[in-house]
Amino acid sequence: MRIQVFAILKDFFKKEFELKVALHTIADLRTHLSLLNPNATPVLNRCRFAVQDEFVTDEYTLTGNEHVVIIPPSSGG
Amino acid sequence: MDFITKKEIDLVALLQKSHCPSAGAIVLFSGEVRNHNVGKSVSYLEYEAHASLAAKMIAEILLAARNRWSLSIAYAQHRIGKVKVTESAVVVITASVHRGEAYASNRYIIDRIKHEVPIWKCEHFADGSKEWGGNCNCDKETGDVNKHIYEFESI
Repeated sequence: MRIQVFAILKDFFKKEFELKVALHTIADLRTHLSLLNPNATPVLNRCRFAVQDEFVTDEYTLTGNEHVVIIPPSSGG
Repeated sequence: MDFITKKEIDLVALLQKSHCPSAGAIVLFSGEVRNHNVGKSVSYLEYEAHASLAAKMIAEILLAARNRWSLSIAYAQHRIGKVKVTESAVVVITASVHRGEAYASNRYIIDRIKHEVPIWKCEHFADGSKEWGGNCNCDKETGDVNKHIYEFESI
């Protein structure tokens, strides 16, 4: 699946990258990314996840073909 | 109209387009870059957004405000990219029959944009350092990244 990150998460991951591991849910993805970069865990735990411009919950089931966007806490304005 | 823009926000032009025969009140809020934050001198801010999701969410927030306060006009635009001190980073315009609704709805819109919409600021300080800052911390109190504490609810 394709992963895209924004803002502070770019300090921990490439802006866009491909993941080829089998992950079943968004919760699994969050855990996997934390293992890849433990320093990102505090931020990852506060992020929202979106698939095709819709927010999804931790229970959302992944097929492996998604474009998952990881959204840190907002700071617009 | 573009809810997310890379161009400088033209406040005067937007206000000129916002006059409406049925509205006795227009409120224009401009969120502008100031030259200091947390005791440090700020050179400029750089904003980024998940543009398609941000635009979709702003449209939904404007529609909710329009319906809740029966507004004649509800509009918002957020700039991305480098924004210099004194320039507008975000504008919200509301127009209604009386001023109460225009003020209240304007606060509602900017609160929701700041807390919910995927837009981020990176502060660039005069000492050369930078920091992704000013993010929504509501989840530290509510325990849920989707539950926020809005200023408009405390008025």
